Amino acid sequence: MSVMSPQSLPLPSANSVLEIDRLSVRRDRRPVLQDVSFSLSAGTDVAIVGPNGAGKSTLVQAILGILPCEEGQVKLLGQTLANGQIPSAIRDQVAYLPQNFLVDRRIPLTVSELVSLGWDKLGLQFPWARAKARRLAVRSALERVGASKLASRFISDLSGGQTKRVLLAYCLVRSRQLLILDEAPAGLDVRGEADFYQLLYELKAEQGWTILQISHDLDMVRRHCDRVICLNRRLLCQGVPETTLAPENLSATYGSEFVRYRHHH
Amino acid sequence: MPAVDFENTIALFQYPFMQRALIGGIVTGLTGGLLGSLTVVRQLSFFSDALGHSTMLGISIGIVCGLSPSVVVLPFALLFALGFNYLIEKTDLWTDALLNLIYSSSLAISVIVLSLSGTYQGNLNSLLFGDILALQPSDLIVDGALLVACALFMGLTLRTQMLMTLHEPLAIARGVNIKAHRNAFMVLLSLVVATSIKAIGVLLVGAFIVIPACAARALSRDFTSYVLLSAGLGALSAAVGMLASAAFNLPSGPSIVVAQLLLFLGATAFPSTKAFLVERHF
Repeated sequence: MSVMSPQSLPLPSANSVLEIDRLSVRRDRRPVLQDVSFSLSAGTDVAIVGPNGAGKSTLVQAILGILPCEEGQVKLLGQTLANGQIPSAIRDQVAYLPQNFLVDRRIPLTVSELVSLGWDKLGLQFPWARAKARRLAVRSALERVGASKLASRFISDLSGGQTKRVLLAYCLVRSRQLLILDEAPAGLDVRGEADFYQLLYELKAEQGWTILQISHDLDMVRRHCDRVICLNRRLLCQGVPETTLAPENLSATYGSEFVRYRHHH
Repeated sequence: MPAVDFENTIALFQYPFMQRALIGGIVTGLTGGLLGSLTVVRQLSFFSDALGHSTMLGISIGIVCGLSPSVVVLPFALLFALGFNYLIEKTDLWTDALLNLIYSSSLAISVIVLSLSGTYQGNLNSLLFGDILALQPSDLIVDGALLVACALFMGLTLRTQMLMTLHEPLAIARGVNIKAHRNAFMVLLSLVVATSIKAIGVLLVGAFIVIPACAARALSRDFTSYVLLSAGLGALSAAVGMLASAAFNLPSGPSIVVAQLLLFLGATAFPSTKAFLVERHF
């Protein structure tokens, strides 16, 4: 069994994008994550897998400073986060795509406007500040993801696949180092999912993105990811997908019923 | 309906009280439209209405204590906004249910307080429907200052407000302090509603926030033009309403609201007018 215990983690290398050290998080006073440690080297693609309620989204929220860490620490691009506060220079290097991108379809926001919000630093500034540079960046990001024709459409008029494409343009519009995806292709059909991943990995190669993604799709993790982390309230195992997603580890993560079900289907 | 006498109508606007009413209406229309654009898409339309009704309690207490309603109304509106935000966070109730609870109880208490004073019955009408013709220069200064504050707030935070309105988790992940932004917006909205009550009255104040924004939604091609159009239509309807009120000798506040309604119906019935609007990207 190729399991690396949290204690036997390799020492963080100099090019670590993210280092999590003995992290514990509570939600409404209930412990959700305990003693989680791992690190992400630059340019790698790491998946977090685990059953519903395992604390995957909680982990992402702690990394983003949305939830406070009870114990342990998060180091993002070499900076230790103090009380969940992330310096804006560091935050601008991180893009996050949430699990559900459900928006009120009556909000009159266009595709260009959404992508331009990815370019902004969101401080106090008038909307016309650096408008030309923003417009050029938005045009080029939309061209790269093949969504130029959608520029003036309302977000609410897009199909699921188009929305994901536009969200990738939102990440791409400013140079970034880390992408955190929370079940990003949720809601897409098989073809849409394949298109999404093809575009994502093309962009990863071009931009040198480091990716941390929560996923329920173990086949995708096997095909694409460099490493996988099995999480269920605590870090159970991590390593390369071929060996880490072995039946005994899956059984420890999801329960023995899950492995029997996958075997029969 | 009396015949329109254009000379008389124009002559009416030579009076300072009519000029103040026109300026006051336009400034309130601009401010209401500006904040109304966000109020409507955030589904807070009922908030402005409930706040208007609740302000009656502040005014009644002011009357009983011998204070000017204008002095009492601002701190009361602030208290209402912050109290409402606090209750939303502390209780697990639906926004509309909580607003109903606050405003109906405020109304009930204010009627009891008013009945104790026994001297205010005659002015209840102007409290409910407002009296834009009674605006004083000092009212215009307060309205103007609020317009500047709202324009600065909307201008400087528009990009953040757009992301917050579209998807809060996306904004939180970018480091946006949602609570601070929400409180600031609610406080401004409360001040605008409270100061507009003298001109428009408790019952109609919500229209200034909601109707121009709804008309702008039907015409706009992107979020930025939606916000600007909402403010512009607020000002236009105030000017048209005041002119109609002078020309036909109609009550001013209700005339402005009818002008807003006609603009909304026009915008909804003729969506092709969109084609005439210049597409803008900031």
